[in-house]
Amino acid sequence: MEVIRNFIYQIQESLANFDGDLLSYATLLIRFFLPALAIIIIIRCTRSLFQEKSEEEIWGQLRLPNGTILDLNYWENVIGRAKTSDIFADYPTISRNHAALIRDDKANWRLYDVESKTGVVINGKKIESDTGIPVNSGDVIELGGVEMKFTAADNTDEYEQAAYRTRPGRVYKQRTTLIFLTEFQLLLGLQLYISMGDRAGLTLPLSFLALIVLTWTCYFIIRALKRVAFEVETMGFFLTTIGLGIVASSSPNELNRQLMFIVLGVMFYFIMGWFLRDLDRVKRFRKPLAVLGPLMLIATRLFGRRTFGAYRWISIGGLTFQPSEFVKIILVIAGAVTLERMFARRNLFAFIGLMGLCMGLLALMTDFGTAMIFFVAYLVIAYLRSGDFATIFLSFAGAGFAGLVALASRPHIAGRFSTWMHAWEHVNDFGGYQQTRAMAAAASGGMFGVGAGYGWFRRVFAADSDLVFAMVSEELGLLVALTAVVSILIFAIFSVRSAGSARSSFYVIAACATSAILVFQMLLNVLGSMDILPFTGVTFPFVSKGGTSLVASWGMLAFFKAADTRQNASFVVKTPKRPEYSGGGSMVYREPEEPLWGGDEEYE
Amino acid sequence: MNKVRTRAFSVLFLVILAIVGMGFYVVRFMVFGGEWASAPFNTTVFRNAMLAVGVVTDRNGVVLADITDGRRTFAENGDVRRSTLHAVGDKEGNIGTGALSVFAPELMGYNFITGSYSRSESGRQIALTIDSKLNAAAFRALDGRRGAVIVSNYETGEILCMVSSPTFDPGNPPDDLSSATYEGVFLNRAIQSAYTPGSTFKLVTAGAAIENVNRLWDREFHCTGAMQVGGDTLICPREHGTIGFARGMQVSCNIVFGELALDIGANTMASYTAKYGLSERSSVSGITTAKGNFDKATSNINLAWSGVGQYTNTVCPATMLRFVGAIANEGIAADLHYLKKTGVSSVVPSGTDRLLSRDTAELLGEIIEIQGSDSFPGLNIHAKSGTAQVGGGKEPHAWYVGYITNRNHPYAFVVIVENGGGGAAVAGPIANRVLQEAVN
Repeated sequence: MEVIRNFIYQIQESLANFDGDLLSYATLLIRFFLPALAIIIIIRCTRSLFQEKSEEEIWGQLRLPNGTILDLNYWENVIGRAKTSDIFADYPTISRNHAALIRDDKANWRLYDVESKTGVVINGKKIESDTGIPVNSGDVIELGGVEMKFTAADNTDEYEQAAYRTRPGRVYKQRTTLIFLTEFQLLLGLQLYISMGDRAGLTLPLSFLALIVLTWTCYFIIRALKRVAFEVETMGFFLTTIGLGIVASSSPNELNRQLMFIVLGVMFYFIMGWFLRDLDRVKRFRKPLAVLGPLMLIATRLFGRRTFGAYRWISIGGLTFQPSEFVKIILVIAGAVTLERMFARRNLFAFIGLMGLCMGLLALMTDFGTAMIFFVAYLVIAYLRSGDFATIFLSFAGAGFAGLVALASRPHIAGRFSTWMHAWEHVNDFGGYQQTRAMAAAASGGMFGVGAGYGWFRRVFAADSDLVFAMVSEELGLLVALTAVVSILIFAIFSVRSAGSARSSFYVIAACATSAILVFQMLLNVLGSMDILPFTGVTFPFVSKGGTSLVASWGMLAFFKAADTRQNASFVVKTPKRPEYSGGGSMVYREPEEPLWGGDEEYE
Repeated sequence: MNKVRTRAFSVLFLVILAIVGMGFYVVRFMVFGGEWASAPFNTTVFRNAMLAVGVVTDRNGVVLADITDGRRTFAENGDVRRSTLHAVGDKEGNIGTGALSVFAPELMGYNFITGSYSRSESGRQIALTIDSKLNAAAFRALDGRRGAVIVSNYETGEILCMVSSPTFDPGNPPDDLSSATYEGVFLNRAIQSAYTPGSTFKLVTAGAAIENVNRLWDREFHCTGAMQVGGDTLICPREHGTIGFARGMQVSCNIVFGELALDIGANTMASYTAKYGLSERSSVSGITTAKGNFDKATSNINLAWSGVGQYTNTVCPATMLRFVGAIANEGIAADLHYLKKTGVSSVVPSGTDRLLSRDTAELLGEIIEIQGSDSFPGLNIHAKSGTAQVGGGKEPHAWYVGYITNRNHPYAFVVIVENGGGGAAVAGPIANRVLQEAVN
């Protein structure tokens, strides 16, 4: 009550004592508009991501002896007696995870013997190799004596089903959301232009203009690629806009540099998307990348600069970058697997070995924050692959955890731990200087902030990177800061939702691991600077100033796009080509609400 | 795929963790935001670690701290400036109990919605419950002696007068603040110090005796100026002869209260001291007071001395005021505060705490009535003096604590003069001057 009374008093006071200082009134109003726009943007993106229809796809069918027809809804299907099997075949002679039927990019299907007791026979031939054998439409698969006739969806089927499915963006027009974002960008730029006065110069308006142009260019490229969903990108640009505002306030002479990194980030996002589009290509790169990752860490340790006790940065020709940011992406690619590889234990052990190596190297680099993030990414990947926490903990957690504990005992990290939750007792020393400033700044900002460019916190070391949550809170208010947090959480929830329809388990694991990295990193940043977790000095994805982190964050967005199979949603997911001939497909469609094409003679 | 799809839900665990973590942060933000924003490095409202917004007035609207041309200024009257230093604060933020530090959130108009932002950058005006005239009178009565005067309304808990000495003029701070003259000058002695209570502590012993000693009112004590306890001697400054309990309080006989303490026992004495709040910390407008002390003596002589307020006993003036106010207010202590309540909160009564039963409070009050009106002309006063021996060849601390019985002027007071001499002779007249000012 007291709070609301105070609040109303302040508004009354502002209105009653009109003093002709129009700029201060502009600030007063923009302070309310920015959070409102931020909330609208996030709500629109979220609703578009979760509330629009996403119908199931059918990639092939199996006809059982009793005449039942089972749909293959994924590119990767496990056939077995286990209830969780994608194709649930309840015959006593079929094993729990009997076989895997997997489609590749070029519509070629292969059949794998996964954990069968009775073997897998195709057209009378038993599968012997680990690499499976090709299956074609019309082939008869025999599992434990049960014969099933396989039919693959042909080009016509795929095209028709694509035409039938709902495209996102019908209810929540992506362009409208983007217009809200542009308003946010314009107002933030205007606010900074007011507050910075002479410091703003020409660079500030130009860089905000450039960001707006980039946002729309990116949107039109996606449209040109005949794709319609732009929610994930919109949130990425929303976070990036906040980041640009932060840099404008904290170090205006680095605006050009930040803008360059934003452009690089968006480019990297497209490159990553293109790369992930072709799963075969990704698979070919997995091994070389698994070698490159540790090498990059070794290089950082050998040639890196030691700052604040940790080796994080490598400097090449005046440009510094942080290899561990890219190693995160590499680990995601190296750790995610397609379905047929999930069942072999030795595959998991190879990944555990790679993770162990990386954690060891991070221990040598004494980069505790990154080690924590890697560890969480490992847990998620290992769990998604094995579904078994016991294995994960026995095999690695012990060692990984021991590594973290060992790291935590290093003086500069132990210092952070000893003052954790006691920042106010260390107001003027290493243990609490930054955190107490961060808390004071965040509190000073209240819900609506003191106005972009009007804060004092920007002068504190790392205000625009490791402590950026506090700076956003101070200048733009807690509401905007929280929408930034929510954006990251939405990515994570969306990747869980996509898991139900993603083409390959590779994309599911990759998207989930990426979410885990982003969420955990964000948590370390926010709660670390606010003295709720030990302060480890990691960046807030997209928002913190810092080239590598920003570029890598954009690259990670491609993983979410790769798992997004809503119709025509994502350029990372291929759409079927227009069939060369028209006519009925090979699929049997049951219970169609309306016939999609004539002559459905196979309809039962 | 179904398996992976199910396992993917594990990511939601992390999301929930994040939501819980952020929720925890937001709650902390709402609860402690005012405190965080009051850090002197919040330069939105602080300049050179000094709160640069907000006006402080006394209860009658007399300005105690203002901003003139962007600089902090203080009351016009020099005595008011000096006497309100510890209630208002100085330019450097040295005074821990100063309103400029303690009430910074109120002065900047802080709330977690608007933060410390204000378009006009002028902050808010707050009123203290302090009466600047009363403070100035107390300051003049102390006349440079070290000590504290604190007066409250025992019905509401409002502090009307709070002076700590030594002090200085915050508008014109002296250069030699680190010299011996100003030793401990930043300390608000009324809240942040604890002193040997001397005979004022006999109120506690009496309270415990009323409830624990059989046939107390019929009992006869024999004072020969000294009493043998074990191998040691408890001394009384006068030979009171054979007297009863009530008379013993009026003449402040050590033998009476030493004997009672022995009867009551160390454990019960300690629990009464704690119950009356005197060995505990209490809160004055959110500031924690100095902690008093009562050690359970293991030897009888020490127990006897602790019963007359010597031994290792210490008491903070503010908690003593709270206790005395409770005796005046039928046993109920109102929470002490010096920020005047406004708006909704002014309707809500102060927090209270029952320290004594109504009967005990009444009986205690009766036996400390000041007879004759020579010392306090026109006032009906219940009071107890204290002359606390501090050893080391120093003069004793002079205490005078009590209250006005007339409910038109429901004031409780505590006066302490460090090494001032006899309680009644030194602290009593100071109390009289302040109370005369208060009732007129």
